[in-house]
Amino acid sequence: MSALGRTLGLLAPSRARMAAAVAFGSLALGSAVALTALSAWLISRAAQHPSIVALSLAVVGVRALGIARGTFRYLERLASHDVALRVTARLRERLYVSLAAGDRTVVSGLRHGDLLARVGPDSDLVGDVLVRGLLPFAVAAVVCAGAVTLVATLLPLAGLVLAGCLLVAATLSPWLAGVAARRAHRVADETSGRTTALALELLDHATELTVAGQVSQRLEALRHNEITRSNALDDAARPGAWAAGTSSAATGAALVGCLVVGATSVHAGSVSPVMLAVVVLTPLAMVEVVASLPGAASAIARASAAAQRLWPLLTAPAIATTGSASTGMPDDAAGLTARGLACGWPRRPPVVVGLDLDVVPGRVLVITGPSGCGKSTLLLTLAGLLPPVTGRVHLGDSALDDLDPHSVRRVVTFTAEDAHLFTTTLRENLLVARGDATDGELETALDQVGLRAWRSGLSLGLDTMLEPGVVSGGERRRLLLARALVVGSRVLLLDEPAEHLDAASATALMAELERLAVSTGVAVAVVTHQPAPTSGGTLHLGADPRSPTVPGGTTPDPLEVEVGVRQQLDLEGRGVRGLEVAAVQVARAAHGQG
Amino acid sequence: MRPLDPRLVREVRPARRYVLLTGATGSALGALVVAQAYLLADVIATVFAGGDVATRRPQVAALIGCVAARVVLTWVQERYGDRAATAVIADLRLRVLAHAVALGPSYLRSAARTEVVTLTTVGLENLRPYLARYLPQLLLAAVVTPALLVVVAVNDPLSAGVIALTLPLVPLFMALVGWMTQTSSARGLVSMQRLGAQVIDLLAGLPTLVALGRERGPAARVRALGEAHRHATNRTLRSAFLSSLVLELLTTLSVALVAVGVGLRLLSGSLDLRTALVVLVLAPEVYLPLRQVGTQFHASTDGLAAVDQAFAVLARPLPASGTLPAPDLRTSTVELAGVAVRHEGRDRLAPDRASLTLRPGTVTALTGPSGCGKTTLAEVVLGLRTPDTGDVEIVDAAGRRTRLADVDRASWLDQVAWLGQHPVLAPGTVRENVLDLAGPTSEARLDAAARLSGLADVVAGLPLGWRTPLGAGGVGLSGGQRQRLALTRVLLTDAPLVVLDEPSAHLDADSERVVLDAVRALRRQRRTVLVIAHRPAVAALADDVVDLSPVPVGAP
Repeated sequence: MSALGRTLGLLAPSRARMAAAVAFGSLALGSAVALTALSAWLISRAAQHPSIVALSLAVVGVRALGIARGTFRYLERLASHDVALRVTARLRERLYVSLAAGDRTVVSGLRHGDLLARVGPDSDLVGDVLVRGLLPFAVAAVVCAGAVTLVATLLPLAGLVLAGCLLVAATLSPWLAGVAARRAHRVADETSGRTTALALELLDHATELTVAGQVSQRLEALRHNEITRSNALDDAARPGAWAAGTSSAATGAALVGCLVVGATSVHAGSVSPVMLAVVVLTPLAMVEVVASLPGAASAIARASAAAQRLWPLLTAPAIATTGSASTGMPDDAAGLTARGLACGWPRRPPVVVGLDLDVVPGRVLVITGPSGCGKSTLLLTLAGLLPPVTGRVHLGDSALDDLDPHSVRRVVTFTAEDAHLFTTTLRENLLVARGDATDGELETALDQVGLRAWRSGLSLGLDTMLEPGVVSGGERRRLLLARALVVGSRVLLLDEPAEHLDAASATALMAELERLAVSTGVAVAVVTHQPAPTSGGTLHLGADPRSPTVPGGTTPDPLEVEVGVRQQLDLEGRGVRGLEVAAVQVARAAHGQG
Repeated sequence: MRPLDPRLVREVRPARRYVLLTGATGSALGALVVAQAYLLADVIATVFAGGDVATRRPQVAALIGCVAARVVLTWVQERYGDRAATAVIADLRLRVLAHAVALGPSYLRSAARTEVVTLTTVGLENLRPYLARYLPQLLLAAVVTPALLVVVAVNDPLSAGVIALTLPLVPLFMALVGWMTQTSSARGLVSMQRLGAQVIDLLAGLPTLVALGRERGPAARVRALGEAHRHATNRTLRSAFLSSLVLELLTTLSVALVAVGVGLRLLSGSLDLRTALVVLVLAPEVYLPLRQVGTQFHASTDGLAAVDQAFAVLARPLPASGTLPAPDLRTSTVELAGVAVRHEGRDRLAPDRASLTLRPGTVTALTGPSGCGKTTLAEVVLGLRTPDTGDVEIVDAAGRRTRLADVDRASWLDQVAWLGQHPVLAPGTVRENVLDLAGPTSEARLDAAARLSGLADVVAGLPLGWRTPLGAGGVGLSGGQRQRLALTRVLLTDAPLVVLDEPSAHLDADSERVVLDAVRALRRQRRTVLVIAHRPAVAALADDVVDLSPVPVGAP
């Protein structure tokens, strides 16, 4: 089955609604054809000067058909557009659900422009195919069958001619149009995706490109892309012009054919002269019936291509960490422990291997290391968002992958360096963390991250829309941290929370985190490049990008341990929780020279 | 809203040519319709009266000729309709993008950016149905309808009278349709944009939502948005279709009335069959273009709304460029005095009356809390933003003062380089990404710059070295590695004035040292550096430190 068929199957448009649309559409177009046929009969009969009684029924019929057409057309449009809108809405929702539950690499592998194209025009195309693609064919089939039956009843040979011509107009012409549309797609798909990508690149990096004097080059690249695209589209449109020509030729042939057959038959006496006009003018009315089919065929072709692009997203593999039957509930008071942990992205060598660590309640573990050493990857793995390559992460006594992923999120909160602020109000952005948080709790979180002054400068307060330009880099970092605090989880995993902050604010923020951990018993791990003395010790991840790391730890990368013994003693002195060996222990063989 | 935006014909050349072509093919098609009606009526009436079809061979041959000519004209119209639409869309897209970029950060960092993105990626495509489907019918309605009416009048004045009476009602209802759908269509476009933006926003935030375990809730929101969209659209359609229902009723009923009238007059003997058939065949053709125009009006309003938006962007005045050549920045000082910039939706100025002096060959650090306007001030120095108050002046070696506003933009930009927070990375190799922006250079210079920026170490660790392909948005490089790449590009330019916006962002302590070295190297090359600094180490390296912290209220 085609991707379009499967997609529509998945979305299950209502058959009853679709059938109603087809019925209304057939009645509308059928009325138009019947109006022509009955008028032709009326005039021919009138030319024979019968009594007016012989015509009265036809007069009423013609007037009724004049009203019927518009009425049924209106009903058809409402019914079909509603079906299409329902399908599009359901498709977008499905897309979201599938990507939400899907492997995160599927989303991050998508270009922003492509994603825009999938949820925008592609989704519209799939919905519209019901109105613009399938409906016209169904309606044309019904009306053509009716018209051929009518003409064949009057004059079988003319019926045959009409049937033949309509068959060409309803198959060959749409087929050509479909070929044109598919070609247009195959050729232009790349360029239009590239057009969007180039346009976004220009807008997103306008300042950099302007200063580098590259705007005209980028515009030239875009212009070049548009020319290639136009030429490709033009080539592809050739069968489309033939499709229109074929349709026009076929209906023309039906007209001439029925005229010749009809006139000859009248002369031979095999059909009444009154019926001649009906036999000739009915094909003329059929022009309108088949005229929409090439367009319908290209709508189907476009929708098929869209469905092919959408299908992989609709069936994205489920995120690996939700794979096992994970139903256990996490222990509320526990920290995170990892033993023999190796982490990395699928199909790439692991960036961290053989790591043992503990994220302990009431303490802050600092993870540092040069760019690209795997700090963020480690944090994602600790959060259960990336499956470990080897080893396991435990939350209390339970392995992370044995727990229900959603309850893990309520207990372990990860804030990525590039975490997203939504284009909505400040309140909504914080409520994303926990829907039932009160305004008071939100304000407290803002205070805790040092945003009290910023917040009071907003005339709309929590109702301020967070649009581009309203939030600076540093404010964004603090907002993300405030959001993480709103969750109220037991383990906070923060990637670069002090980035874009000035030194004083960064130090204050780290101190605040420390205070928070101690006072609430939350376990915190912070990736940062500004090492600060903290209760949980410091883990230095050192990776030399030139040395390939081999899974299994034969030539492991150098990991260095700094157990903060003094800090540990300090903590014990202050009576903070337990005697667990704080933080970090790394079983380590030296690499290369070591 | 006019059915054909005059700006489109006046300012977009492919549109103008297309309108002329379509007018010509439309007129020819109209002539063929008339010829076909006469020929059909002649043959039918002859045979009806007992004549032999053999005597009408020339008429049948002419009819075949008509059909053939129709096929050719249809082919031409179809062939060039889509081509013209593609050309017009491409033309407008390029112009809107070029203009939006030229409007600078004060425009692109506002909410208008989303509008431009939607317009240039999705919105302008609405022009395709408008140009390829609606416009030809509009021209047919303008040319063919009156011509056919004259032909009907010549044959049967009474039928022409009926048509002439109902005909003005059609444009009247079209105007009504336009009036009723204009606001709802603009609203529909807004609703589409809002939905599109919100769905994209949700999808862009998916990793964040997953991390918070909140990816399930918004699915309901996507559904709710879709439902709201469907209801809004259905409402719009009900009124839009209601108007076209009246339109169709009017035109079809008129054809029915003409047919009945002609039939009754035939019965009374005041009309002959030939004339009656000509009128019967032509009557629906008179209305056909108007009906098509009415049917496609909904699509046309979307297209016209997009045209309107495009010209609204294009109508925004560009920041004026001066005409004076920029003084040589290797020897000139840049002075900012009392510079303040207002931001849409924010009460306070950022920066608020900032002053600083950039002496040639020195390093100036901008410090201050987040949101105090450091980046904005950098944009002012780059000449991309015009301050609301205050002045930027360049003082050359001889002491001559030139206002930046009077300086030719291109000659100014030739002398500055910029390293922003999110450097541009295009799909391509590491090497292409460095050289595309930096321009051609020698291997030795490239190696030196890469060593200085720390990119050399990154490249050495990549599987294919310099030829390693990067995904769109630089998938495969960490934030720090991207910064090193961008820093390499800046080091390769000859610009005397370099603005570094948070160069140590995303970098760790080790990388920060590389940045410090780079700043030192830039200074050794006698370049002037303005650096937005967060870390004391960078500020400590600067010759001047300018603190942009807001002045407390009441302070002198």
